[in-house]
Amino acid sequence: MKKATLKKAFTVTLSAAMVLSLAACGNSKKEKPEKEVMDVTIDQIKLGEDYTDLKADLKFLTHKTDVVDTTFKQYIEEFQKLYPNINIEYEGITDYANDITTRLTTGDWGDICMIPTTVDKDELGNYFTKLGDKKALSDIYEGKFLEAYSYEGTSYGIPSMANVQGVVYNKAVFEKAGIKDVPKTPEEFLGALQKIKDNTDAIPLYTNFAAGWTMTAWDAYIDGGATGDPDFAYEGLTKGENPFSDRGDGTGPYAVYDTLYEAVKQGLTEEDPTTTDWEGSKGMMNKGEIGCMALGSWSITQIQQAGENADDIGYMTFPITVEGKQYASAGGDYNYGINCNSSKDNQIAAMCYIKWLVEKSGFAQSEGGLSAVIGDEYPEALSALDGIELVVNNPAPDEDANLFNDVNNDSELGINVSGAIPTEIIEEATGGTKTMDDLVNEWNERWTTAQEANGITH
Amino acid sequence: MGSRINTKEAVKKAGIKSFFYSTFIRKGECGQFMNSGKSKSFIEWIKSGKVNQRLVIITFMLVPLTLLIVFTYIPFGKMIGFSFYDMKYIGDREFVGMQNYIEVFTRKDCFSALKLSLYYIVASFFQLGLALYFATILSAKTKGGGVFKGFMFFPYLVCGIAVGFIFKFFYTRGFVLDTVLQWCGFNLEQLPYWLKDTSINNISVAATSIWRYMGQNMVLFIGAIMSVDSTLYEAASIDGANGWQRFRYIIVPSIKTIIVLNMILSITGSLSVFEPPYVITGGNFGTGTYFVIMNKLAHESQKVGLASAMAIILLVMIIIVTAIQKFIERYYFGVGDQEAIRTIRKQKKLLKKEQEGGR
Repeated sequence: MKKATLKKAFTVTLSAAMVLSLAACGNSKKEKPEKEVMDVTIDQIKLGEDYTDLKADLKFLTHKTDVVDTTFKQYIEEFQKLYPNINIEYEGITDYANDITTRLTTGDWGDICMIPTTVDKDELGNYFTKLGDKKALSDIYEGKFLEAYSYEGTSYGIPSMANVQGVVYNKAVFEKAGIKDVPKTPEEFLGALQKIKDNTDAIPLYTNFAAGWTMTAWDAYIDGGATGDPDFAYEGLTKGENPFSDRGDGTGPYAVYDTLYEAVKQGLTEEDPTTTDWEGSKGMMNKGEIGCMALGSWSITQIQQAGENADDIGYMTFPITVEGKQYASAGGDYNYGINCNSSKDNQIAAMCYIKWLVEKSGFAQSEGGLSAVIGDEYPEALSALDGIELVVNNPAPDEDANLFNDVNNDSELGINVSGAIPTEIIEEATGGTKTMDDLVNEWNERWTTAQEANGITH
Repeated sequence: MGSRINTKEAVKKAGIKSFFYSTFIRKGECGQFMNSGKSKSFIEWIKSGKVNQRLVIITFMLVPLTLLIVFTYIPFGKMIGFSFYDMKYIGDREFVGMQNYIEVFTRKDCFSALKLSLYYIVASFFQLGLALYFATILSAKTKGGGVFKGFMFFPYLVCGIAVGFIFKFFYTRGFVLDTVLQWCGFNLEQLPYWLKDTSINNISVAATSIWRYMGQNMVLFIGAIMSVDSTLYEAASIDGANGWQRFRYIIVPSIKTIIVLNMILSITGSLSVFEPPYVITGGNFGTGTYFVIMNKLAHESQKVGLASAMAIILLVMIIIVTAIQKFIERYYFGVGDQEAIRTIRKQKKLLKKEQEGGR
């Protein structure tokens, strides 16, 4: 009897403790730490003159896991020549895009990170420090590239570099296949791939399907690059009616996605998309085992460095010609952002480091990207794109700043996020039953439903 | 009586709260003190048998319980909360009531993904069969038994993500599996694409989980078989039982609890498969299980509320499935020493008949 009551008492107390701890957790809503009011902006800082005796330990979250121990170490050393008392510790995150979103919500993640696309524009101010007025910053940095992380005239991020969206290809393979001119339309492109298949042993187009994130490259072509219209992203895609339909003139999203569909259907891609290997593909391309891959310009240097044939690697725009002219969409890569919950000293130190990274480190050039700084030269890898007009999408008006993200999430098409559309194309073109038209109708339907849910009517 | 007050005060001074007092002092220790007539010091009191025993229990339980509460129950409670909201990871949340649950039931992809669990359930039966087979063989004295046990248990120790990468290369066209099959006389043209071909890719992926978990099941079985009283075997061999009979009438009945436990774990595991399809195929080409779809919704489309609702629905389903299994187990096999309900009923009927016949 005694034992039983004891047991009961024990159970009751324990469960009470459990419930209490749960309740306690529910009640103690975390008070947001008081934000330091920042009056310093990044354009005011003179590198090497201001704040040189500032002491701070910074933590930097980055997606560039490959250079954390090499290039970034050198950057820290050089930066410390100017700012000896600022220490920087890098943390490389492999699955960056996913992990960073969760970590941001805690508020206590470090001082500098690459802002993920999952942060809506009107939320930027809750997580990141104001780097300056967009107008003032536009005097130093390309205003177009600042748009992505500016809200109501304030900039919260500066792009580490900017990318051009094109196709990376092996010149030697193209030459061997007998292709003289770089293809300019989807038909020419498919014809060129067929020639590579017929005349060489190389895989004409390597999809890198298994890696997943590589699929988003196809999404990146569909707006400015495929239409030449910087307003298409907002007017045509976000608010437009049935944006995926065939426009009939070989432009727009349909032309991009149809190229992929046909390439896979006609057997111009690798045999088994499920077992592609991203790290291996760089070397294969360098050796001439792959004809071309759909990847942003950031990939050029990586592929050049993956073997001995750096000179064979070339870059072209996506083969779409709008009224006789070719365009390539360009836009900022990951932006540097500063934690607004860090101490004031840390925020200022972080600003100095970001300014140094963008202006002095040469990071963008070494990665084969465009620098955000006005007047910086094109990297060599992109010289082939001279004369091609770069289109940077105009931002949506402030009141609709989140509209694209909302429609995109609701429709689950994951444009520029998950690459759900290109993934589905490859699945269906490989062994599925749906035709391109079926797919287009499905996407249009989902997009329209999502548009209606967000108050867009046609 | 004086001693009682003293102890009371001593305890209070030591800062131990009434819970301890009521459980430790009122119930047993006081009498002891009163009988002894001397007031013991706090140290002596705490060293005394029952108090010590309970302190040990509590201190030992404190760490795992804290971990359990902090990392399982609190997040779980939060998740239940999330499931009623339309929310993203970052940004405002909107209370939507049961909307997320309704959506899970009206969407096509959520429940059709559960069909894939059938592949894994079938696989889990193969897995248990193999594990039982090897366990029976290896529990007898076998040459190199330890080495074999080690080899077969080893895959379980490899992290699931690594297993995924191993099998990605294993199944790649012209790599390990194809090469081995070519040695056996197959032509590469005759072989399917293991991960692309939608008619077999789920089998390929499910096979990896057999490879991974078979050893673990086997070790559990070996443990159970070892605990069978060896005199039973002797008696059986005197009666002239052969290997199969020994297995059927001694081993299986003795370890049925472990068999059923493994079955429950395998089937609930089959409903919530995540790592193999996520790593090997990314859930593409029709291999997206319930969990993979949940992950996609939460991370790629930022529908955190919907994904939370999916998780809770799966939990309820797993509870139901386990309850059904438990019932079947009790009815047909019995738990532990308890006879199966079916046999008890049969016996009762028999008894009744006998009585009636006797009348």
